[in-house]
Amino acid sequence: MAGETAGYFVRRATGLVRAWSGFDAFIYAFFSVNFVTLGMYIMSFGPFVPKGHLLPAAVITGVLVTFLVIVYAGLIAAMPRAGGDYVWQSRILGGGIAFVLAVTGWWFILWHWVPIYGNILSIQFFGPILATLGRPAAAQWFGTPSGIFVSSLVVLAFVSYYIAIGMEGYARIQKACFWGGLVGLAVVFLLLLVGSQPQFQQAFNREAVRLFGASGDVYAQTLEASTKYGFTPPPFGAMPLGPSILLIPMLVFYLLWPNWGATLYGEVRGASDYRRVFSGMFWGLWVTVALSVVFFLLVAKTMGWHFYLAANSNYWATIYDPKNAPTLAVPLWPYPALLATWLVNNRAFQLIVLLLMSLWFWGWSGTVFLSSTRVIFAAAFDRVLPEWAASVSPKRHVPTGALVLMVVPSVVVSYLYAYQPGFATLTLDATLVIAVTYLGSVFAATIFPWRRSQLYASSPAARYKVAGLPLISVAGVITIAFLLFNLWKWVTDATYGVNNRQSGYYMLILYALALVIYIIARVVRSRQGIDLARIHAQIPVE
Amino acid sequence: MIRLFFATDIHGSEVCWRKFLNAGAFYRATVLILGGDMTGKALIPIVLDRGRWEVVFRDDRHVLETEEEVRAMEDRIAARGYYAVRVSREEMTALQGDAARVEALFAETMQRTLERWLDLAEEKLRGQHLRCFVCPGNDDRFEVDELIGRSRVVELAEGRVIDLGGVEMISTGWSNPTPWQTYRECPEEDLRTRIEQMARGLRAPQQSVFNLHCPPYRSQLDEAPALDQDLRPLYGGQAVRPVGSTAVRDAIEQYQPVLSLHGHIHEARGAARLGRTLALNPGSSYETGVLQGALVEVDPGGVRSYMLVAG
Repeated sequence: MAGETAGYFVRRATGLVRAWSGFDAFIYAFFSVNFVTLGMYIMSFGPFVPKGHLLPAAVITGVLVTFLVIVYAGLIAAMPRAGGDYVWQSRILGGGIAFVLAVTGWWFILWHWVPIYGNILSIQFFGPILATLGRPAAAQWFGTPSGIFVSSLVVLAFVSYYIAIGMEGYARIQKACFWGGLVGLAVVFLLLLVGSQPQFQQAFNREAVRLFGASGDVYAQTLEASTKYGFTPPPFGAMPLGPSILLIPMLVFYLLWPNWGATLYGEVRGASDYRRVFSGMFWGLWVTVALSVVFFLLVAKTMGWHFYLAANSNYWATIYDPKNAPTLAVPLWPYPALLATWLVNNRAFQLIVLLLMSLWFWGWSGTVFLSSTRVIFAAAFDRVLPEWAASVSPKRHVPTGALVLMVVPSVVVSYLYAYQPGFATLTLDATLVIAVTYLGSVFAATIFPWRRSQLYASSPAARYKVAGLPLISVAGVITIAFLLFNLWKWVTDATYGVNNRQSGYYMLILYALALVIYIIARVVRSRQGIDLARIHAQIPVE
Repeated sequence: MIRLFFATDIHGSEVCWRKFLNAGAFYRATVLILGGDMTGKALIPIVLDRGRWEVVFRDDRHVLETEEEVRAMEDRIAARGYYAVRVSREEMTALQGDAARVEALFAETMQRTLERWLDLAEEKLRGQHLRCFVCPGNDDRFEVDELIGRSRVVELAEGRVIDLGGVEMISTGWSNPTPWQTYRECPEEDLRTRIEQMARGLRAPQQSVFNLHCPPYRSQLDEAPALDQDLRPLYGGQAVRPVGSTAVRDAIEQYQPVLSLHGHIHEARGAARLGRTLALNPGSSYETGVLQGALVEVDPGGVRSYMLVAG
């Protein structure tokens, strides 16, 4: 019988599965903390903290997010199969708080992630591919409002397709994208490793002239333009800690998600499950941090650190400060993969590498609605949302209700993002609102050993202590401090683009909307004889 | 109107059984139904070795010095849904090489635990104006039926048409085949016949309740982790597949009871509509000591309200 060598015996019973592959869990976490789509995108904002350095900032963020991983691993192992933040918070903090925090963080705010995904698709896929195909005008069009809106619609179409085919189909595609994407990244890294800086300068100048009609030493012009604009970064070797810490609220845009969608199956095991779920997320996070460090070193070696930051500074200036911005010789977002492929003067090769790199996007894009669907279903089963929200079409087996609740608002938000001046800055709240939801779960986890002592005592997390205190609580306190630091910086510092009244009102509207839905549900269900407060009330044992 | 509380798949969790018995008073329900799979899946030996007790529980090795420590460990094991047994080192060695001996120990421990549970039910439910039904599931050995049959407060529901008070209920804990070859599983055709035989005995199938352990195929209530040939969850446990019964689905679609109650797939907590039938699977988190259930108000006209709870 299985398990007898481990000191116990199991009998014939449903659900006694073997431990799932830790590597599969790693892939999921690794793709959520997406080094290319989210990572390369947010790294390009580095010049907004001119004295900071991305390398120490990434490492410090990795260390701090590790505590978040400890907390979530504890929650997952204690309440497996529960359905994530909404259910954990419901059981520890109560249904009302859980609903408000979960639907804002895992539903409403993900409408705003769609145009962000759309923007990333424009700058990492359509733009570079079309430019490489010799269509610079079309490439630039994808940077216009209509181009970004079209990209957002493409994202929605793909994500809807992933939801329609189900998690197994998506997981299969994701795994293929993982391997293909890794090959693409390996080629990019190899090019940066074997290429020299003079070779890169020559390649950059050649392509800028050929694809975009620039003239002269475009590499040098890029550096000059940025200096003229007022951007003078410290050299690569200088890594001041203080200013670098100010980059953390930016880098969480990609490093805060190793716990995205993590679940656990398995009933008989204990601590090994805890370690397994922890490992998947931990390595997903730290392999990404390691890739980031290697990337920074290679960029500094071959592209030139100053050039990398200058190119990004110039690009974002054209978006956020168009009046004073320098004219771009290469009028595209300086996608590092595109620039690296230019080291090989061959269109077909460049195209193949860019297509491989795009797998980082296609494999990842399904994550945008995954958790939303779960939260919508859980809230509908709790009778907070109407039953149709969890409806599934009988023939195609598609969760039509949840899809409508995700897709329709996302189209509206994407339209506003593309065409309504100023609205795009509101999407910068995307990370902030999820961080608030995390804060709720982390707080719940911190008080978990005392608030639900019996449940905690029976969980594998209970065996881990620090100075006699539960590890989940110690890690929780550190994570709360970390999240509060980020929230404080986002709210008070203009660097991050969200400390304005408009953004504040907008977020309040989102939270108020969630609260109103919950209050209406309480009233309506009460009239139907359903007391929502009873859903998570504990039945006495004795 | 009947106010019923339905829970399922408590798999030996003493905490969940106690909560189930208290659920009538807690939720003001007049009918309690346990959908099946009430017995535990694992046996945890507490081994006596040179005056001390040793146990491996949830990957941790514990050495217990006192009787109090052993009892506390037994309670922890029972709360989790496993059976604790005290054995000597020699007995442990013998068990490790003898599957038949382990099976016999399982049967004996299970029976002893169930008898204690039924005594507890008698103590808690006697004098209460509620009816309590248990329908053993595919993971429950056949001896379970006989034990429940002896109880004066818990009624055996398997294979019967039961009048809940204006609304009739049919029940079966049998399921379609699983990879684990459990006690009560059969081909879809046999399951269809089993349900048919009961349904034919209903006065008004459209006003009835179907209490069928296995959920209907492709109903969302039957989505279980996709497994490979070695029973290892695929894609880090993210991928799910429908594993419910087509016979159950066909029966629901044919007879259209007002309510169908299911379990079996712990992960698939939810509600679904199959025509005019409301199908519920409250799921199970027995290992955490949380009793998931469904609280339903039903009369011959239909389901008046329902709520999936986690107590």
